[in-house]
Amino acid sequence: MTLVGELSLWVAILMAAWTTTVSWAGAYQRRPDLVFSGERAMYATFAFTLVASLGLWYALFTHDFSLRFVSSYTSRNLPSVYTFTAFWAGQAGSMLFWTLILAMYGALAVFLNRKNLREMMPWVTGTLGLVTLFFLLTTAFGANPFERLDWVPVDGRGMNPQLQNPGMAIHPPMLYLGYVATAIPFAFAIGALVTRQLDGEWLGAVRRWSLLSWFFLTIGIALGMWWAYVELGWSGYWAWDPVENSSALPWFTGTAFLHSIMIQEKRGMLKKWNVTLVVLTFLLSILGTFITRSGVIESVHAFAQSNVGAWFLGFLIAATILTTILVSTRLKDMEAKAELESMVSREAAFLYNNLVLVGIAFTTLWGTLFPILSEWVQGEKITVGIPFFNSVNTPLGLLLLALTGIGPLIAWRRASTANLKRQFATPVAVGVASVVVLLALGMRHFYAIVFYGLAAFVATTITQEFVKGIGARRRMYSEGLFAASTRLVIRNRRRYGGYIVHFGVVVMFAAFAGMFFKKDYAEVELKQGETYAATDPWGDTWTFTSQGMSRYKTLNREVTAITLETARNGKPMGYMVAEKRQHFDATGATTFEPSTEVAINEMAKQDVYVFFSGLLDAETAVLHIHFNPLVVWVWMGGFIMAFGGIIVMWPQAQARERGYVAELAPQHEGALAGAGA
Amino acid sequence: MIHAPLSRRALLARAAAAVPLLMAAPALLRAQPSSTVNMAGDFYIPVRPRPKPDASPLLDEEQVNTLERTLACPCPCTLDIYTCRTTDVTCTNSPAIHRDVVLMVNGGYAADEIVAELTNVYGERILMAPTKSGFNLVAWFLPFVAIGTGGLAIATLLRTWRRNAIEAAAMRADGTVRPIRAHGTDEELARLDAALRDDSR
Repeated sequence: MTLVGELSLWVAILMAAWTTTVSWAGAYQRRPDLVFSGERAMYATFAFTLVASLGLWYALFTHDFSLRFVSSYTSRNLPSVYTFTAFWAGQAGSMLFWTLILAMYGALAVFLNRKNLREMMPWVTGTLGLVTLFFLLTTAFGANPFERLDWVPVDGRGMNPQLQNPGMAIHPPMLYLGYVATAIPFAFAIGALVTRQLDGEWLGAVRRWSLLSWFFLTIGIALGMWWAYVELGWSGYWAWDPVENSSALPWFTGTAFLHSIMIQEKRGMLKKWNVTLVVLTFLLSILGTFITRSGVIESVHAFAQSNVGAWFLGFLIAATILTTILVSTRLKDMEAKAELESMVSREAAFLYNNLVLVGIAFTTLWGTLFPILSEWVQGEKITVGIPFFNSVNTPLGLLLLALTGIGPLIAWRRASTANLKRQFATPVAVGVASVVVLLALGMRHFYAIVFYGLAAFVATTITQEFVKGIGARRRMYSEGLFAASTRLVIRNRRRYGGYIVHFGVVVMFAAFAGMFFKKDYAEVELKQGETYAATDPWGDTWTFTSQGMSRYKTLNREVTAITLETARNGKPMGYMVAEKRQHFDATGATTFEPSTEVAINEMAKQDVYVFFSGLLDAETAVLHIHFNPLVVWVWMGGFIMAFGGIIVMWPQAQARERGYVAELAPQHEGALAGAGA
Repeated sequence: MIHAPLSRRALLARAAAAVPLLMAAPALLRAQPSSTVNMAGDFYIPVRPRPKPDASPLLDEEQVNTLERTLACPCPCTLDIYTCRTTDVTCTNSPAIHRDVVLMVNGGYAADEIVAELTNVYGERILMAPTKSGFNLVAWFLPFVAIGTGGLAIATLLRTWRRNAIEAAAMRADGTVRPIRAHGTDEELARLDAALRDDSR
């Protein structure tokens, strides 16, 4: 089976090459038989990539240590779930996994559009085939998971303990599903540019894929934050690490696109900008892959072995040049006589929203690449860390939060003064009142006060929209509160799903601001029976009493654990267990450095976070205790955003449109016809 | 300097010379150095200036922690010295630098003097953020310059669109352009207008 998988990888390469060749030839020569063959070849590429992937999974589960990849990332005593996830634990496997998702998406995009956009689709298929071909070639020649060793070890090296975490099992697939989905809008953009069909038609196909990409990137990034928080032990979830930044870059530009696409849908404006954003999002996902896998920038998250960097750099440069040429030669086709009735309109708000989102992406990219630039210019690699990103991106984040509240309340085309007063009076009042209350309660952190003031403002704008919508439904259809609420959302999924996403953003920003008040107690030394007292950011006193240490062996590790009895202001708050782990393979030989498992008492107000640093002597444990306010709301915010994303994505538009037109048509056929509808 | 036009023969000769380079490309690609990531590597250089006469510490423990949050661990963890030494049990660099910092604090050195001593030895990469001087100023200002330029571009774009709207309205008013009229009752047209403006679609 492993051999079949390996052979399938090579056949998939041929299939992908065939996909591109015949699709483009068919499009150029207008030969349906070639186009048809190209579509079938795309399906075949997916099928062979799937067989190759199954071959690798088979090798992992049968412990075929003759494969370098299997022996490098698994061992006989690795739990089954992590044997499964070992597929993407290393460079070579994750390349194949990436290719599998790409081929799957490609086949799906071709299948879903087999009857639509007939002139454009061969170019789309060919582009998808080409991108897939690049990934297959990089996998086969740059990081082949089927590469064999000269000898067969008795056992494998095992998986890095930090990757043996449920978050890491789900986080990479989610991130890949998001990253790779950017290739589909890119392929459609290429198709639209080549055929010069740059009006609204291609956007319909692109929007869902962009949403899908955004959805998975959101989940992937949130899970990555969670993994970093529970696994790395530094009591934070975002360090502006180059690899973290790489995952955020396409998210920012993708989010900008999802807003600006609405302007093109509504007004036929911003065609050039939308094409640019689609292309940019894809190129940033490739750039992120290059950063993660090349080793050009140091990162705790980067893949250790990296000889595929040059492949990605070459692809990135070629794709950038080709798309720049395509876009620049089609500028006239994208021109539109745009009109704007008022400078105060939703169009303007969305443009500024785009500016801030792309600005944050630019700042993040700039900070990530500046060490390389400084090395070129000054001969010294400058560190660009958390203080830089926080200083520059925090004001931009505040601006974005404000626009999240302002944009949806301003009318399209023109907002009257009366409209503005009516829409903004209550949210502004609530925002200002929140600031006053926080000041009265003694909060003096400038950014925190502004964050919470804006969060209250935006949350009120969203609530106001729901209250108005639900009230209108209740009056018009005499519905109950629950029915009106659910139907409001179900029948206007894009709008209210978007509001839910915005609410998730508010929750997340409020949680981010909580970390301004985190309190740390480092190097706490505790013997059995000793108690340490610490004050949390809310002024409560916590006590941590050591119940002593325990040592035991489990499947693939030896665990040293300390148990702490905790109490807040004298009231028992349960036990916390922090661990140090030493992993070993099936022969009992130790693998990797000792790792840690933090103890977290998660509450709505804060997390109590205990990191077991080590042993001072046989009885004395060294701990770091952190009080991290509102962290659970970061995960809740991510969950709410993903939930809102599902509502927005849920297919309904066509059915609703048909129903809507059917409802309107009998009486208004003439009016619609007269309007050119 | 005037360049003579390249003859076809010369062009072919150069193309032929490029072939070996192209053939060697895969080998060059494979020869890429592997990642430099080595968390347990030894990047530590001792920084132990002489204590000042009659020295007494100018910083308390909290201030030392704050100072260490502005110093980068030289290992590739991308964390600051404080976070790295309290988290990464495998890193030998951050605890060593912490010991040097504590020695300098006990030797009577102020925070900026400690930073200067460390920067002299490690260079500016020991700082968690670029300094606000020289070429590094570009790091701080370019994002704001770029966003400011973008803001101006959007303002210009909006003004152009607004001017287009005014011109179009004027042309409609003087009869140069006749708008397409939809046929229907006022109520129907109002519903049509609402439908076209419906945000949720």
